[in-house]
This record gives sequence, C-alpha cells and structure tokens, in this order.
Amino acid sequence: MNKNYLGWAVSLAAASLMLALAWTSATAQVQIQVTGKVITPPGAPKGLPPSGPKGPVPRMPDGKPDFSGIWNGQRALPNQEPPVMLPWAEKITAERTNNYSADDPEARCLPGGVPRAAPYHYQLVQTPKLLLMLVEGNIHTYRQIFLDRREHLKITEPLWYGDSIGSWDGDTLVVDTVGFNDKFWFDMAGHPHTTQLHVVERYHRRDFGNLEIGITIEDPGTYSKPWVIQRVSSLETGIEMSEYVCNENNSDVLHLVGK
Amino acid sequence: MTRSILLVLACVAGSLLAQSVPDLSGVWVMRGSTDLPGVLPYRLEALKLWQERKANLTKDDPATYCLPNGVVRMTSLPYKIVQTPKLVVLLSEGNTHSFRRFFLDGRAHNLDLEPNSWTGDSTGKWEGDTLVVDTIGFNDRSWLDDTGKPHSDQLHVIERYRRPEAGRLEIRYTIEDSKFLTGPYSFTRTLVPANREIQERFCTEQNHLAGK
Repeated sequence: MNKNYLGWAVSLAAASLMLALAWTSATAQVQIQVTGKVITPPGAPKGLPPSGPKGPVPRMPDGKPDFSGIWNGQRALPNQEPPVMLPWAEKITAERTNNYSADDPEARCLPGGVPRAAPYHYQLVQTPKLLLMLVEGNIHTYRQIFLDRREHLKITEPLWYGDSIGSWDGDTLVVDTVGFNDKFWFDMAGHPHTTQLHVVERYHRRDFGNLEIGITIEDPGTYSKPWVIQRVSSLETGIEMSEYVCNENNSDVLHLVGK
Repeated sequence: MTRSILLVLACVAGSLLAQSVPDLSGVWVMRGSTDLPGVLPYRLEALKLWQERKANLTKDDPATYCLPNGVVRMTSLPYKIVQTPKLVVLLSEGNTHSFRRFFLDGRAHNLDLEPNSWTGDSTGKWEGDTLVVDTIGFNDRSWLDDTGKPHSDQLHVIERYRRPEAGRLEIRYTIEDSKFLTGPYSFTRTLVPANREIQERFCTEQNHLAGK
C-alpha cells in the first residue's frame, strides 16, 4: 500500500521482465516477424478455444439472440490475411515489435481499446437496449454497446472504446464503432491506427456455446484496405470472472491462459 | 375446461408477479457528501488506524494509485445500474471505471476463487420492492470513505436498494465488521438521476505515477 518511488521502480522492472517473457512466448505463439509482417493475425491466445457446449441459441423475449454469458478471450481463426499497412504504419509496427513491445499502453494498465483481444474472460450482459461487455482484464472495466440509437454521438474527446451502436442483421448483431483516440495498439505487435478508425464487429452466436466475431478495421490513415479478422469465443460454464486489478499487478501469471 | 383456464390464469399471474420487481436501471448520482455520516462504533485499533491515515493527510489513499474504491466508498460521479432478472450490474464512471455484479440467480456466496477482493462477492434478492445485496469476501485495503475510515477483511455489507419514486434511488447500508466494529453501523444514501450517460474516464490515464 505504502508505495514509494523505489516500489514503483521495482514494480516497473518486474513488469518489464514479465512483459519481455510474455512477449517471448507471444512471439513464439503468433509468429510475429520482426519486420512487422504478421503471418498469423495477432492479439489473441494461441489456438482455438475448446468448443463450447452444444445446444440452441438462447433468445430474448423479443426473439433476438441473447449473447449473455461469460466468454473466454477472443481467438483468431488460423490462416488469415495480414493487414496491408501504409509505410508509416509498417515502420512503427516494426519499431514497436523490435522494441519488445515495451511501450504497449496495455502493459501500463491502460484500456485495450477495440478490437484488441485479451486472454482474459469477458461477460456479455444483454438487455433490449444495451449490450454490456464486462472485461476481466487487462483492466477490469466495461464497454457499452447501445442498441437503442441509430446515430453516433458527436464525439468531442476521442475515446479508448469509442462510441458503439448495434443493430440486428437477422441473428447477427452488427456493432459499429467510431470516435476513437489513437493511443491503443491493436495487439502486442503494435499495429497502430489513427482517429479515423472505424470498426465493425459482427457478433453471431452460432449455437449455445460458440460465439463468432467478424471484425472489419477501416482506417485510411493507416491501412490501405480494410483489415478483416475472424475470431471465436466459447462459453465458459462453471467459472466466474475474477476481480483482476491491473494496477495491483499481483496476479498476472495466474490469469494468463495457456494452451 | 374451467380448470385449464384457471391454470392458464394462474400461470399468467405468476409470470406477471415474477416480473413485477421495480426497475432500478438508470444513471444515478449521489446527493450530499460522500463521507460516511455519524460515528462508526470502532474498536480502538481501528480508530487508531483511521487517525493515522488522517494525520498522514490520506497520502496512502488507494484511489490515488488507481486502486478500487471497494463497495462502501463511492464518488460523486455517476453510477449506472443495468438490471436483468438474474444479474444486476453497477457501473462506476469514476475511480477505476469498473463494475460490480450482484448475482440474483439464487447462488450462495462463493469465495473459492477469491477469498479477499476489493469488491467482494455480492448476492442479491428481492424483498418486496427492495433489492437486498449481501457482500462478503473483502480484502482490508479499501477505505470506507475519502477520510480513510478503515475496515477489516471481516467486513460484511448489506445494501438495500429501493426506488421510492421515479427520480430517487435510496441505498440503505448496514455494515458489520467483527474485527473493527463493536456493532453494526447503518446509514442511507440518496441518489438522483444524473440526466446523462456515463462517460469514459480512466484513472490510469490521469495518474502521473502510472501513466508514463
């Protein structure tokens, strides 16, 4: 509790060490090359999650799919197209990767932003007007997806999670988000973006235990064409989310999800 | 025939009854001081700890380090309640911009995963028009208010949420702590509509110690 600067220095050193270790294992997992080229879409834990329980899709009273539940961290499907970056983005991604991701905002307990995948669980809570995303980590916070308005707010101050509105395309919830700041990284490799970022996520609960998320990243300031990523999460049953407090930095290792 | 009609009516009445709990959802903001009112029946050890913190100009305040406020301590920034039949979520704009979950699915307290946490383990049930939330499983690190009032890991908080009128949310707190208090302590908070959506506010970003 009584943290002094020495304490902070020690914490920082420890965090740097852990970051380096995490980076080493992450690079081994997602095969990031130091040139900044990405072979496998990064940002999510290695491999697909175990298939979730089978069964019908739960529905809201109005018949729409109900996404409520605790889901494990989103993981990218294999063999996806790497992003096509403008030269400045290519350069900065290579720099960040070569620098062992030492400046990753997420490692400083800043929000992951959208659509960064964390290895932690997240819980979706759905009402007719709102899809609430409670995230276990990197920071224990939340994201609101508004289902009751069709227009984006006028964003005067750019946001980490932007302004998210959702609408239904059949059984798929299409989440449209703008209004981002340019501070967060998309992944540990350090893929950047500008405030022109526009993210569209398509949430589809394939069956009781499996959620598919199709993501389109548009940012003409960074990528010369939209970057499309397919991810999946499976439902966690019989497990609760923990109270992960990033600033406490006391339980990182326990909450890293291995293969 | 008559019997089946009655059965249908009973089912309809039953489901209506099941749904007829008050809607607490909305964005709320506290009215009045965030400090706990009155005198807490502290044991000497706890009183000493509180006095030390005050004499120390509350320089070790966990909130200064972007650590969670816990349950009893609240800010003057808005809170949002998201309500479903089995889960009620309390979102906080300030402090760590985090959330608490009240489990209304009938489960018992489960401290296996985390015996001691900042916000504890909260179960809730409706007693008439009042949502009663019972929380245990705390650490001893959070403060009960900005002045540094302490609690131990034996803290037990009962919150009784009611909405006596559309524009008013009342939370009646009863706090027990066998290590630090000689008896229970109660007080009531009043919240009113914030008349705005909750905003993004991340402590770590504004904290010069952690933001670099």
